[in-house]
Amino acid sequence: MKALAGRGGLYALLVLAAVGALFPIAWLLIGSLQTSDELYRGTKLLPAKPQWSNYVTAWTDGDLGTYLPNSVIYTVSAVMGILVVSSMAGYALARIEFRGKSAVTFALLALMIIPAPASFIAQYKLMVMLGLTNSRVGYVLILVAAGVPLSALIMRGFFANLPKDLEEAAAIDGSTALNTFARVILPLARPGLIAVAVIQGLAVWNEYLLALVLFDDDRLMPIQRGLTNFVSAETPVQNILLAATAISVLPVVVFYVFAQRQVVQGISSGAVK
Amino acid sequence: MQVAVVQARPATRRRSPLARRRELMAYLFLLPAAVLLAIFTLLPFVQAIVLSFQEWDGVSKSTPFVGLSNYRFVLHDTVFWSSMRNVLIFGVAGFLLGNALSLGMAIAVHKVHRGKALFRTAFYLPGVFSVVVIGMIFSWLLAPNAGILNRMLTTVGMSGHNWLGDPGTALPAVAAVFLWYHWGFGFILYLAGLQDLPVELYEAASLDGARGWAKFRYVTWPELLPVTAIVSLLTLLGALQVFGTVQVLTNGGPGYHTMVPTLRIYQEAFTNTRFGSAAAMSVIFGGALVLLAMMHLWLSRRRK
Repeated sequence: MKALAGRGGLYALLVLAAVGALFPIAWLLIGSLQTSDELYRGTKLLPAKPQWSNYVTAWTDGDLGTYLPNSVIYTVSAVMGILVVSSMAGYALARIEFRGKSAVTFALLALMIIPAPASFIAQYKLMVMLGLTNSRVGYVLILVAAGVPLSALIMRGFFANLPKDLEEAAAIDGSTALNTFARVILPLARPGLIAVAVIQGLAVWNEYLLALVLFDDDRLMPIQRGLTNFVSAETPVQNILLAATAISVLPVVVFYVFAQRQVVQGISSGAVK
Repeated sequence: MQVAVVQARPATRRRSPLARRRELMAYLFLLPAAVLLAIFTLLPFVQAIVLSFQEWDGVSKSTPFVGLSNYRFVLHDTVFWSSMRNVLIFGVAGFLLGNALSLGMAIAVHKVHRGKALFRTAFYLPGVFSVVVIGMIFSWLLAPNAGILNRMLTTVGMSGHNWLGDPGTALPAVAAVFLWYHWGFGFILYLAGLQDLPVELYEAASLDGARGWAKFRYVTWPELLPVTAIVSLLTLLGALQVFGTVQVLTNGGPGYHTMVPTLRIYQEAFTNTRFGSAAAMSVIFGGALVLLAMMHLWLSRRRK
């Protein structure tokens, strides 16, 4: 009886916490479908008639047709870059004996410690000198560099767990080292690649500080920057803003729901090991 | 000549041609990462130190050397130092409350049999959003008049409050939003740690007569210490570097009551166009963070 009450209390606590975690997000979605009158008076929780037109207005007024594709471009190209560079580095660190290996591993760890506030001013200066402000390439290059240390260490962990004699067996079959890496090793490390892609995909999609610093050309800004522009422009209508925010969140939620196993696996293997 | 060099090192173990080829391959595989990190991460870090002794307006080609004057300037910038104090509150909240909340909830979820995946998804979901989105949602929730929190308070007969506009509540409110956003990360790590704990440990503890609290105190807690070390470091560093949440919610106001160092550095550079003193701030602040991280590494290594 007492155990049953305890279990009930536990569930009540968890449900309460889940409501606390999800309520602001649910409210964002509900508010985005209300008329502006409903939103301000706030007498009803649910909209009498969902205003899907808010989303259309948000898309055109908020110029999301520019920002959203930009974010897709940045996310896809940065993640591809991170995957290529970090899987190569991770492979070398996990499976090849070479001089200076421990020094390189230590350097990767050390680079992860350098905090963003210590270098974003100088990163901006570097980009000015290289003529890479307001440049898609410049933005993506910095993002790739920022993502590599953690990703390389995650990939190293995944490669290290593969059976020891894979390379030798492939060599006996006459495969070159590069071929072995691309055809044998990489496919086996797919869970690691997916974990890295998911973690870095979220990080790049949500990046804000560098986009703020590097872009003043509206046509190049990613969605996070575009949203804040939308807010500071004149006095925007709240329900339209909510709809614009919801649009920016939707891809992430869909992505997370499908990939949450990899997110969780990636976070725990990347951070703890 | 070359032969002589090779013969002069008889002590080195001879490597097979295959091993040498693989060693070369390792260097080639590390090259892209090395080049990228050297240019875009390491060089700016060093550049920040150089820039802190120079003057720069953000546009011109010339960056005259000014010695310690940027540092002297920062020393007298009271806003920067109060931003350091504010961020300490973030750090302590992230460290203590963040750890307690995420460990507590991880233990609770670990105990239940049904809906584990559902709770896990729900608790981490806020963490996948951008700081911009989090800032926007909460600036509406906490708005003085139309904000839903105040409306709920007035419905139950209490009076509303200008949470983000009142100097007394602005910082705690922003810290609470930050915590709501970030605790799921530690929660995931703790939950993974709990799932990795061997059941035998608990069985042995039960045989020794340990129950509820004692099991936690003598089995769970010490076994999870490595996880705690990582959660602490990541939440602490994350909290100290807070930027977007604060910028979107309050932009450091009212007055400077929610100013944080990263935002101050940004304003000093891009609003006041004093990149030199902004760099000096970033060296002081970034240096403190690096020191903290190294201290943490040293402490957690010594405990092993």
